[in-house]
Amino acid sequence: MCGIIGYAGQRDALPILLDGLKRLEYRGYDSAGVAIVGKGLQVVKDKGFIADLEAHLPPMEGTTGLAHTRWATHGAPSKLNAHPHTDCTGKIALAHNGIIENFTALREQLESEGHVFRTETDTESLAHLIEARYRGDLETAVRDALHEVRGSYAIAVVHADEPGKVVGARNESPLVVGLAPDETFLASDVPALLKYTDKVVYVMDKEMVVLTPERAVLKDLEGKTVHRDPQRITWTLEDAEKGGFEHFMLKEIHETPKAIHETLLGRVANLEVNGFLAEDFSSVKLVACGTSYHAALVGKYIIEEIANVPASAELASEYRYTRGAADRPLVILLSQSGETADTLGAAREAKRRGCKTLAISNVIGSSLTREADRTIYMRAGVEIGVAATKTFVAQLIVLYLIALRMGLDRGTLGYEEADRLKDELRSLPRAVLAVLDKEEEIRALAASYGKDARDAFYLGRHANYPVAMEGALKLKEISYIHAEAYAAGELKHGPLALITKDTPVIAIAVEDPTYEKMRSNLGEVDARGARILAVGTEGDREIGRLVDDLLTVPRTSWIFSPVPVSVALMLFAYHVARLRGCPIDKPRNLAKSVTVE
Amino acid sequence: MKAVILAAGEGARMGPFTASVPKVMIPVGNRPILEFVVRSVVESGIRDIFMVIGYRRERIQSYFQDGKAFDARITYIQEPKQLGTAHTVRQAKPGLDGPFLVFNGSNLIDRAFVGDLLDHADAPAVAIKESDRPQEYGVVTLRGKHVVAITDRPREVTSNLINTGAYVLDPAVFDLIDRRAEEGHHDLPGALSEWAKTTAITAVESKGTWVDARYPWDLLRLNATALQGVHDVRAGTIERGVAVHGRVSVGEGCVIRSGAYLQGPLSLGPGCEVGANAVLLPSTSLGKNVRSGPLSTVSNSILMDDVNLGPSSVVHDSVLGSGVVARAGLLAASGPADVLIEGEYHAVRQIGALLGEDSELGNGVTVDCGTVVNERARVASGARLRGTIPAGAVVH
Repeated sequence: MCGIIGYAGQRDALPILLDGLKRLEYRGYDSAGVAIVGKGLQVVKDKGFIADLEAHLPPMEGTTGLAHTRWATHGAPSKLNAHPHTDCTGKIALAHNGIIENFTALREQLESEGHVFRTETDTESLAHLIEARYRGDLETAVRDALHEVRGSYAIAVVHADEPGKVVGARNESPLVVGLAPDETFLASDVPALLKYTDKVVYVMDKEMVVLTPERAVLKDLEGKTVHRDPQRITWTLEDAEKGGFEHFMLKEIHETPKAIHETLLGRVANLEVNGFLAEDFSSVKLVACGTSYHAALVGKYIIEEIANVPASAELASEYRYTRGAADRPLVILLSQSGETADTLGAAREAKRRGCKTLAISNVIGSSLTREADRTIYMRAGVEIGVAATKTFVAQLIVLYLIALRMGLDRGTLGYEEADRLKDELRSLPRAVLAVLDKEEEIRALAASYGKDARDAFYLGRHANYPVAMEGALKLKEISYIHAEAYAAGELKHGPLALITKDTPVIAIAVEDPTYEKMRSNLGEVDARGARILAVGTEGDREIGRLVDDLLTVPRTSWIFSPVPVSVALMLFAYHVARLRGCPIDKPRNLAKSVTVE
Repeated sequence: MKAVILAAGEGARMGPFTASVPKVMIPVGNRPILEFVVRSVVESGIRDIFMVIGYRRERIQSYFQDGKAFDARITYIQEPKQLGTAHTVRQAKPGLDGPFLVFNGSNLIDRAFVGDLLDHADAPAVAIKESDRPQEYGVVTLRGKHVVAITDRPREVTSNLINTGAYVLDPAVFDLIDRRAEEGHHDLPGALSEWAKTTAITAVESKGTWVDARYPWDLLRLNATALQGVHDVRAGTIERGVAVHGRVSVGEGCVIRSGAYLQGPLSLGPGCEVGANAVLLPSTSLGKNVRSGPLSTVSNSILMDDVNLGPSSVVHDSVLGSGVVARAGLLAASGPADVLIEGEYHAVRQIGALLGEDSELGNGVTVDCGTVVNERARVASGARLRGTIPAGAVVH
């Protein structure tokens, strides 16, 4: 599915076009390009992602232009085949969705007339055809050309000699016009325009439109003006993207099973994760900030348990300023956005120390992935809610894969055991689904424990201690309740003094190697009169007697328990925040990716 | 023109396969049944879809989101309690201002089917179809081209023309639906039978595809029908010495090991692993990350996401839910059987095993024809299963 955006107005066209392209990203694409008419016609295009294109753009000035994301149909994805396409003179630029059926015949005819083709695409023939019909007026040239074309199209065309004008046309491919004071837009779909206007006119089959900053004029292919009243779009961009869920955060929590699948795709069978994992390093250092740091802390347990390789986790903002030991660990850097300033700094510092660096990120081509020696992508899909949810789980999944590969390569993990662990990895999407199905129960617990709380304590041990930290962070971030996480074994060393009957305690008490210890810790808390909500393992008949409420998650090997447990805690924090009326997707003072130190 | 798609029901008759998803989200040919409905509607030029959802609604919302990826604009309407089809359609009333189409989300349909109904969209209409089991459906009585009545599961079958549950309606019907609701009637066919006394309702006999999913074994028919439209795709790694015949779709990241024999139509979702010398025969679908071990044979079956089928297993005419793990040597052969679903026995001509999600079978388990293993059952090595195994049971 290709995407088109066009602009004629008073402002700089480039940022508007790039923003529009990003809104059309969901349609899928393999290359992107932009054409701007200013002092002349400038065209820049490339294979790959919009972010890549953006990073390599020269200065482009002009208030008229068009842009395109391409999904290859004719001709491979490449810089050359990307749109916009130009004619021989380099004055006409054209973006096109659809397929020109008679392009071979057109091409032969045009080539015999002396036109020189540079690509294998059907679109280029249309660019040359418009050039051949051009007599000083773009609109007429496009109309004449379209009379000779068979196939489906939505097009946008500009000419270097006609600044301030974009000509569009459609047949069987969607095209919509946006109207605003002193500017007009053209796009494949409404979301690309919604940021600028809610007033749109749909272009119908075999119709053309001529955009100028003042107006958009619809015509049929005979040149007769068509009158159609603009419509108001009553849905907002956000509504459109939330797909019926109340908040992005909730939508994204529900996307966790899909994120796990995507992260595992093509990687489980042969454990195809490539990051120096077979090489001879004596330890692993996991470096990250915020939620990613919590994933890194879980990663320490995962790597030590599965691969039997010493591992430690450190905050990126601290790691950068320490001296570092003499040995050179493999440094794994985790950042959802790949733009976290401190993590980027840590990557540079690790390289300076002579360490190999491996990034785990969700954003293709992000700064971290360029900084690190190698990257393993999470493939969790876009995350819009500021509170990280599905990407936390996807980070864990990558860490499981890394540990499995490392263990097999180093001979510390047997094949049978690896197969068993792989089976469990495959079952995680459904373990999460089972948690999602308990949403009603979790909502009731949120009302009972969180709605009126001022403080809350999270307890965990072992691999679930960082999960408790993450649970507390989620609660802080979106519900503004002061929440602290403690390793339950540390209670006696201070925190117990803070626990009273007014501080709810959320305890992770799944069946892991410290389960017995956790039970006695809960006894200590209970003695202070605090209400305890435990997250336990399905089928555990003991733990329920020690606590006030019990929420169970499906039974997994303990090493995988952070996955269902963390999802339960996300839903808990979400419902607490919702009951307290907090702005869940945009909490105060917080940004999605922290690009300052 | 807007379309209302009914996707609120649980589908209790689907046995273990609706444990965590609504019936409309069960995959056939590697896509949820509902996706075929949405795509057929969109391909017919209708973009505005009202999706009435209820049971496990988040699964549907997460998958279709706002519909953009399917070129549709989907508005979700929640039906808290499923009383009947008329009640379900009634939920969409606030968004409807003119004639609209109604489709059942759990019927496999194609563009031709939608198109036939659209050709008669200027007045109320019912899509009908010939059936060899009319006694199980609403039988339509006609006068000329017009509907006289729809009789649900008649004791005496007077015709083999059945109601497909796809309609053209207009908002005038809502008054009638509301009136009947007060009397405790919530079914749509009943409402239409009454409406037919005052309004001409055209019966449209469609030549398009319409396959109904009611029981787990119906899924195999839907799957085979869906696979007729499968495209040849070769992604992933196909090792040397693999034979591929017919139309076979191999998803991203798949690994097909040497000596495997693939006879289409088949659809392999992304990330599947087909072991050395494994055989996959028509019409089989493998979901995401499925593993079919070395020397295994699978025919006419659905293996949903994350199934791990051990080496030397034989699986015919079977449905394996997500995450089913069978160690080496599962034998699930096919034959006639009486299958117990929701307390009723059904004689099924040809059926293998019906294994619910996350059930785990040890080595060398034999599953008799028509056995239903409910979700999360654990079965010890060497067991022989027959009848119905309850959810979460441990079988020694």
